Amino acid sequence: MFKNVRLSHKGAMRPIRRLFCTGGLAFAASLFLPTHLRAGKISLKGRVSRQERGQTTYARSGTQSRFVYTSCLGCNARCGMRAQVQGGTLVEVSGNPYHPYNSAFNPIDYTTPSEASLPLASPVCGKAKEAPNILYNPYRLLKPLKRSGARGTGKFEPIEWAQLITEVAEGGQLFKSFGDQRYYPGLRAYMKDDLIDPAAPELGTVRNQVVFIGGRDQAGYKEFTDRFIKDAFGSINRISHTDICGLGFRMGNFALTDGKQVELKADPVNAEYILVFGANIYEALQPGINTYGATLAARVAEGKLKFTIVDPRSTNASVHAHRLLPVKPGEDGALAMCMLRRIIETKSYDVAFLRAPNASAAAALGRGSYTNATHLVICEEGHPHNGRMLRWSDLQLEKKEVTSEAAPAEDPFVVLNDEGGAEPHNIGGLQSAALDAEARLTPAGGTAKDAITVKTAFRIMKEELCAHRSEYYAQRCGVELSEIIAVADEFSAYGHKAAVCQYHGAGNYPGGAYAAYAIALLNVLVGSIDMRGGYLKGGGAAAKWNEGPYDLKKFPGMRKPSGVRISREKSVYESSAEYARKKAAGGSGYPAERPWFAFTQGGLCVESLSGIAQQYPYKCGVLFTYYFNPIYSIPGGDTFTRALADPEVLPLHISIDVGINESNLYADYIVPALTYLEGQYAFLTPHAPGMKFTAVRTPVVAPLTGHTIDGRPFSLETFLIDLAKQLALPGFGEGALPLRDGGHISLHRAEDYYIRGIANLAANVGLPEADSTELRFVEANYPVADYKHLITPQEWRQCCYLLARGGVFNRRYEDDFDSRGAHKYGNEKLLVYNERMAGAINSITGKRFKGSVCLADVTDSYGTPVAKTDTDYPLTLVTYKMNVHAQSRSGWHKWSMEVFPENYVYLHPQDARQLHIDDGERVCITSRHCTAGVTGTTRISPSVRPGCAAISFHYGHTQLGASSLAVQAAETVFLGGQRICDAIGLRGDPKLGAGILPNRLGRLDVPLGNTPLVDVLSGIPDFSSTRVAIRPLKS
Amino acid sequence: MPFDHALTRRAFLQTIVPVSAAAASSAVASTLPEKICSWVMLIDLNRCTGCQSCTIACKAESGAARGVLNTRVLVYDTNADGRIKFLPTLCNHCDTPACLPACPETAIAKREDGIVTIDWALCVGEGACVQACPYDACHIDTVNVKADKCDFCLDRLQAGRPPACVESCASKARLFGNVFDPEDAVTVALKKYKYTVRNGLPAGRVFYIPRSEVKGGANV
Repeated sequence: MFKNVRLSHKGAMRPIRRLFCTGGLAFAASLFLPTHLRAGKISLKGRVSRQERGQTTYARSGTQSRFVYTSCLGCNARCGMRAQVQGGTLVEVSGNPYHPYNSAFNPIDYTTPSEASLPLASPVCGKAKEAPNILYNPYRLLKPLKRSGARGTGKFEPIEWAQLITEVAEGGQLFKSFGDQRYYPGLRAYMKDDLIDPAAPELGTVRNQVVFIGGRDQAGYKEFTDRFIKDAFGSINRISHTDICGLGFRMGNFALTDGKQVELKADPVNAEYILVFGANIYEALQPGINTYGATLAARVAEGKLKFTIVDPRSTNASVHAHRLLPVKPGEDGALAMCMLRRIIETKSYDVAFLRAPNASAAAALGRGSYTNATHLVICEEGHPHNGRMLRWSDLQLEKKEVTSEAAPAEDPFVVLNDEGGAEPHNIGGLQSAALDAEARLTPAGGTAKDAITVKTAFRIMKEELCAHRSEYYAQRCGVELSEIIAVADEFSAYGHKAAVCQYHGAGNYPGGAYAAYAIALLNVLVGSIDMRGGYLKGGGAAAKWNEGPYDLKKFPGMRKPSGVRISREKSVYESSAEYARKKAAGGSGYPAERPWFAFTQGGLCVESLSGIAQQYPYKCGVLFTYYFNPIYSIPGGDTFTRALADPEVLPLHISIDVGINESNLYADYIVPALTYLEGQYAFLTPHAPGMKFTAVRTPVVAPLTGHTIDGRPFSLETFLIDLAKQLALPGFGEGALPLRDGGHISLHRAEDYYIRGIANLAANVGLPEADSTELRFVEANYPVADYKHLITPQEWRQCCYLLARGGVFNRRYEDDFDSRGAHKYGNEKLLVYNERMAGAINSITGKRFKGSVCLADVTDSYGTPVAKTDTDYPLTLVTYKMNVHAQSRSGWHKWSMEVFPENYVYLHPQDARQLHIDDGERVCITSRHCTAGVTGTTRISPSVRPGCAAISFHYGHTQLGASSLAVQAAETVFLGGQRICDAIGLRGDPKLGAGILPNRLGRLDVPLGNTPLVDVLSGIPDFSSTRVAIRPLKS
Repeated sequence: MPFDHALTRRAFLQTIVPVSAAAASSAVASTLPEKICSWVMLIDLNRCTGCQSCTIACKAESGAARGVLNTRVLVYDTNADGRIKFLPTLCNHCDTPACLPACPETAIAKREDGIVTIDWALCVGEGACVQACPYDACHIDTVNVKADKCDFCLDRLQAGRPPACVESCASKARLFGNVFDPEDAVTVALKKYKYTVRNGLPAGRVFYIPRSEVKGGANV
């Protein structure tokens, strides 16, 4: 039956293949003779559905089951998924054996016929298994809702689609029916090119007052919303949620790669020593627990790897850890700097690598990238370029000579050769330059008074590291110096096979960019960066999906939004009218009202909301939120309740989501969203490290939401398309998609866009056309096949080859390294000193930030250390994710909630004794900004560092089914219908509200008006410095 | 102390060889006819990450009633050394199941392939098996008023698929197979590793490879 199974790598599926895979059904059946099966008294327990499922597993399409290869969104790890559908119902989820993330980076060969892949066992984690409980959750919204009472009262009524579109587009006295006479401007009111503030033209036009924040963004539908908000409407405010996803560690990598790459991780397949900083490898991370965590566990078991954990919580990975370093929250940087110092003191860094001044010198050494460790930095007070990298032109006083400089088009950096002479860093044949050096250089044609003091980037880093004694670093981070030294020595001894895996915990606090930068530099010093077994970035997409035969990016009339984002990310305060005004008034120009973030990766949803709440730098007119629950998901997010509840502050708020959550409870309209099993088409690239692929998500079942008169499902895309048509925006509707040959096609529904994205991807990769078996398989199994007429038959056959495998996975992990082990898709250049960071100015104090590593304190925006002011709260709050949960919606994981019905506050026995608290006791947890406190149950455990209280996310919901709500005609609004409704509306289930939400305790920034605490350099939200007090509930 | 009941391979084989004339005469599994299956699960604690994928996969597969978990990973998080430890648990499919004679309805059977089943046509859910089970692996399904437990996903085995918990285990901590097949991964692993049953409990079809470095208090 399946004679031609080809498994490229023998052993990939070894433990289960022999019995269950290789021969498919016929072979397997021979193992289970009927007589044998009848040997015991068998009853399949009366579960008819289970029995049927067992008998029809992997039956061919056309009989009872359909199979679809797609991508999971239980979290953003991007694993593949094989969904089994019977009679239109999703019944089972397993993994995609073609996908590296379901196979510990060792998938079956991409050319394996899909039919042969179907019987292969393939794992997914518990979150993926919960897919039916997300899809069929009774609290899912089916119809658009409009509030029928004041914001936050939970009063909603279902409305017609046409009414939704008209009201959001045109505005009006929208809530007159219950006595609100206020006029609510719709989107059209902001479709003008008037400046928001003629006195502050840098802010841009009123179009920017329309803000869209995406909570669960992924490539595909993210670009679709970009098309609407940015390209068609012309607002710059399309904001992601990178900050709460984990901006701290990303900023360390951002500084290292100068913004080119924010995610790098230890090579899980080839590293021999991994230092885990704030990465919950067995419970979360991307790639997820069944990829990265499972690979590490297997390799530790095989004796091929050791990992050491740096974390205030032991984490589940402590079971297999080589060492545990329970660092003080917020002091990861001190620990990393102590290690860096040790590596430099013992001269155990990779000298040859660091001395290579340019790409060709590094390549000659077999390296994937080079560093600027030897490049000179101007260290001359009063020099106009003080703090910047020295350019060749800085050494030429006469401008003309600069332009006549022959060799490079760009102005090169400068290094010192072995004789101490200055040379352009990229001059031909220069293989090595001075590493730990400084000099006074006199520019050509100048005199001694023109001399400039310069230091190598390495020297500046070393000076910064030596600014503190090792003992001080150890005391700061709360780890024994001897342990740090031992780990530093191990790390450097493993050299190119040692790397860091840093994630959310490493740097998610004020000053965290510097902590994460120090952590990232560990990989640079030992030379493992961009090397097999070392610190790697992701390899990127298999090919582009939004260009090719179909142009999904550009369209006639496309706008180019400009101005300052409401989050102030990537904007320079010193260019603002506010700065000029304050300066003109005789001041320094500082402080800004709120921080501006010139040097950041961006995606600052927290600062966007703080901006909205304070109407700074301008007022938000219309807020769209998609799959976003800020009140729940942001530490201290409760503070936004007031702004979201006040139409004077935020006139119109439209949420697009699967249910009524803690935040859209305050929205004016809620538009039903599709889950990833019905929509959320996506083109998913690998997370770091390594790999190069594009996984493709298409629907598994038909949308469950209601539909428009012309049969399109209520969804994000249908909503934006219809709004665009109502407003006659370009890029949507009739003739909106340009063809290569000059023709046009239309964009009326989601598939018009996405199926062409799939066709582009398949064409750009140059995939073969599917054979007739695979064509039949896709056409009989995949809902997206209903739209094959939108592309050419040849394109469709190529798409079928891709769809039958769930994406493009045509490369193997080891393909990405050259013969000497360098990562082919690695970074080009790494910065030991970042002049852009050094050029950034603290918009509160007016002081420059440092361009090298430094020991930063956890403070509020005005520099006051939290630990010093919150002394009434003796414990530091540490938060984390659990293995069976994602973030705000996984309370819908029915089975996970059975396994862990609530979460706990973990306390060290030492603290418990002092506080007279027992294990399992009910306690009240308070913080400076949550004096009323939250209640929960304790767990006394040495797995948490003394002085810390650890609480997971996911629990403590008040919505998403946890509370009763006065929703009119509720039985028609929610998927669960009568089952979850009564005469008043939605009937809440208290079980869904079990446990503690630690974000309610979050520390706020007092001088900024009690908005959530963020880092003033790059906008990192604080997850690590909230101080709490705990007392028994009985007292 | 965990693993104080480590079995030798010989002792292990003696316990699992089915009581049939053909098999009982030989202590070497490989000499047995290939078509007879004898199922064993071997759980490597060096690989278990405590991710609970198996627990959820089991729920998804079995449709077990609310509150019933036929397999789960016990979490030991109060160890003095600060390390968290895990123990996947399920029905042991004992060689001499204590639940079997305890059941007044004779609903429990020990199959030749080693699997212990409960026949729901006979079970009245009174819970004698729950009391008798030394592994705490039988539960009362209060919805159907029946006793429920792991059956190694018998229906999946019929369809040529591994148990749901085994398929979902990405780090391959759960090996499952037929020990009558000398090339089966389980058979190979049983030869290669030192394994044991849970602390002092009766032997059956579930074995554990202990953690190689058990630092501090262990909990199996």
